[in-house]
Amino acid sequence: MALDSEKEITRLWRALQGAQGANRRTFYQMRRVAIECAGPDANPFDIGVKAWEVIGKDIGKSNLPRMNLLKGEEGLMMNVARAYQGLAETNGAVVKIEKGGSPNEIFITWERCPWPTSAKEAGASMKEDLAGCDRYLQTFLEEVNAFLDTNLKIETQKAIPSGDGICLRRLYKPEEK
Amino acid sequence: MGKLLFEWDYSSYPGAKKYPHLFKPIDIGTLTIPNRIKYAATEDNLNGKDGFVTDSGVAYLRDRAKGVVGGICTMQGVYMDKNRQGQGYVGQAAAWDDKFIPGLKRLADAIHEEKAVAGCQLMHCGRVGAVEAEYCQGPSLVPQRLRIFRPVQEMTKADIKQCLKEHIEATERLLKAGFDIVEISGIVGYLLSNFVSSYTNRRTDEYGGDIRGRMRFVVELIQEVKKVCGDVPVGIRLCSDELLDDVGGNTPEECMITYEMSEEAGVDYMSVTLGWQESIYPVISRDIPQGKWIHLAERAKQHITIPVCMAYRLFLPDLPDKAIGEGKLDMWEMCRPMIADPLLPKKVLEGTEDEVRPCVACNVCLARLFRDAPMTCYINPVCAHEWDEKYQIKPAEMKKNIMIVGAGPAGLECAWVAAERGHEVHVYDKRDELGGTIIEASKAPYGDDELYGQIRFSKVKAEKAGVEFHLGTEVTAELIEEEMPDSVVLATGPNYIKGTAPGFDRENVVSVLDVLNGTAQVGDNVVVWGNLKPGIGLALFLAKQGKKVTIVGKEKKLGKDINPSFLWRYVGYLKQNKVTAYTDCDIEEITDNGVIVLTYDGYRIPVKADTVVTSEREANTLLKDVVQKNSIELFVIGDALTPRNLSSAVHDGYRIGIRI
Repeated sequence: MALDSEKEITRLWRALQGAQGANRRTFYQMRRVAIECAGPDANPFDIGVKAWEVIGKDIGKSNLPRMNLLKGEEGLMMNVARAYQGLAETNGAVVKIEKGGSPNEIFITWERCPWPTSAKEAGASMKEDLAGCDRYLQTFLEEVNAFLDTNLKIETQKAIPSGDGICLRRLYKPEEK
Repeated sequence: MGKLLFEWDYSSYPGAKKYPHLFKPIDIGTLTIPNRIKYAATEDNLNGKDGFVTDSGVAYLRDRAKGVVGGICTMQGVYMDKNRQGQGYVGQAAAWDDKFIPGLKRLADAIHEEKAVAGCQLMHCGRVGAVEAEYCQGPSLVPQRLRIFRPVQEMTKADIKQCLKEHIEATERLLKAGFDIVEISGIVGYLLSNFVSSYTNRRTDEYGGDIRGRMRFVVELIQEVKKVCGDVPVGIRLCSDELLDDVGGNTPEECMITYEMSEEAGVDYMSVTLGWQESIYPVISRDIPQGKWIHLAERAKQHITIPVCMAYRLFLPDLPDKAIGEGKLDMWEMCRPMIADPLLPKKVLEGTEDEVRPCVACNVCLARLFRDAPMTCYINPVCAHEWDEKYQIKPAEMKKNIMIVGAGPAGLECAWVAAERGHEVHVYDKRDELGGTIIEASKAPYGDDELYGQIRFSKVKAEKAGVEFHLGTEVTAELIEEEMPDSVVLATGPNYIKGTAPGFDRENVVSVLDVLNGTAQVGDNVVVWGNLKPGIGLALFLAKQGKKVTIVGKEKKLGKDINPSFLWRYVGYLKQNKVTAYTDCDIEEITDNGVIVLTYDGYRIPVKADTVVTSEREANTLLKDVVQKNSIELFVIGDALTPRNLSSAVHDGYRIGIRI
């Protein structure tokens, strides 16, 4: 049987997008379950952010085998940035990495990200979407820092949920005083 | 000259002449050890889950004690805390209460009954411990690289004091049990190594800081244990290189400072080790050349004056004998070689080293321990069954004439065992040489040549047991009916099959055996059909020649027949050689340009190939009918029964050999 490559790639691409969508919907369905179980006094914002904290910690741990200091802390920063990029792209984002002006910083840009749209569809606030994403990235980094005795930080400078069009984050090593 | 516990005279043995350095005495503290051989402390998971010594544990160690012919035989490390945070293995022996002393005494007595020196070991597993507890202990809260371990709890100073106390009390119990030497374990990620390493010790109190601070706990421990031991020698196992440079571990120079400080603190010998469970570098797998690490023992000897022992890829006596003669090493330690053959040094001494069953460094023994299973050995079917009468070779009640079809690992193993039991054994093979498909398998790179050692071993055993070989003879129905043996063992190996998809009848589709033995031509782009060990070995063989190789296999997991403690090496080499692997897939069609890979969920991927090599196998039922039709007792073993691996072939062969 002749192989129609275009057809095969289209099928794969659609299946990938379907899985990405299901992944986001499942997150917000589980968030709703957690909110309902927590009762009327619980704050959905806190629950959403807590969920991202747990996810960040777990994914951070999973990534430890790929983290090392063989190329120093600059190399480690690039490892972390690439891990963020890979994880985001698997979920449907478009992410670029750029070295900063100093060797102690890297800029990561989310040019597209499907998560804010999913948050809107699920009725979650943009504030929660941003805080959840930040918490996820931070807890991931906390695991790496604890493992390698480093002090890397990440800060958000622009955010799609804030209406900036892109998410721009700075991964950096604070200067020692 | 120290105190000699047992008299040994090796002068009349051929091994003592061939390896003069291995069989000369050495002083360890106040003791004189008659030779330079030490069975290193090895966890076996053979104890009860409550830490009590069992019959199987005693029998296992007794055989190793017999093997060291007067040398040191060390029991596995004990955990010492009731909370079981120091316990790293479900079947680890315990010494946290006096109630364990009678069991420990059984081990010491068994070693003494074989006229060997009884060593014991204190082993708190630290950040890789707490296998039955919620949290493990460490000097600092540093997460492990591998997720299988428990979360770490940082030890307070009170915890450290308590831990010291538990070591001392356990030492007292071990001495009461009758052990002659006490060893402290500080290796591979266990508690002492956690304190010593800059990776895991980030304390700012007196137990942290620079290497001297990080060594404080070890030094205090040695001094306290020494006090309890008095004249009884105390040794330690420490890393000469942690191989943790990627996560900020100690430098080799710092490691040597730990050796110097241990000697100053009073230890009587040093066991040189390297690497942690969390290291990313291979240390003991068969892709590492024999003797690669001797330079580390040599370096240790430049820093300390006490005797230096070492294991780690020293499987044969010539390397340690030479190293001892050159002053690079003082004692030859062994774990895995004596798991594979407990009598290895005894055979060396007696001049029968060609009868040593060689370890293939597959690490299945370790893989089992990490999965809470009792130890077994890939190629020694008796390992961990030493206590079981049913596993021993005993004379046959009725002598039989046995025809074994196939001189591969299963057939040869069965042959020598059956022949030793008194049967008349004839081995037939259509090939002109012994070994079956191990001949081809041992041509794969990265140490797979060591697999052939099993054939050498069983050939010698078979020849000595009087097995008759009929090589270059294909067994037919007529031959069976002419010979009419009492029993037939079919050990013919598997059938190598071709797929049913269109294109498998093309000329560019060849067999794994033909490629490995050099009779098939292979192009630059190759698809290997089959993702088990034969396919992986073949893929690496071809990739090392610069070919672009793609593996396509039906199994969900690549190399599921390879044990996980070795699989990571193959996976690493596949990656290094840029081999692509499609798992849970099949070949849908072989075309003019290559193959179409069909995924389990129906996607189709074109892969360029000028040659397709098949490595898929199925059971071989040839001759079964004719044997049964003639009412001859029939056994089918090895890959002929169902395709598996070398281990299954050897175990099948042994088990039928002792029963037939």
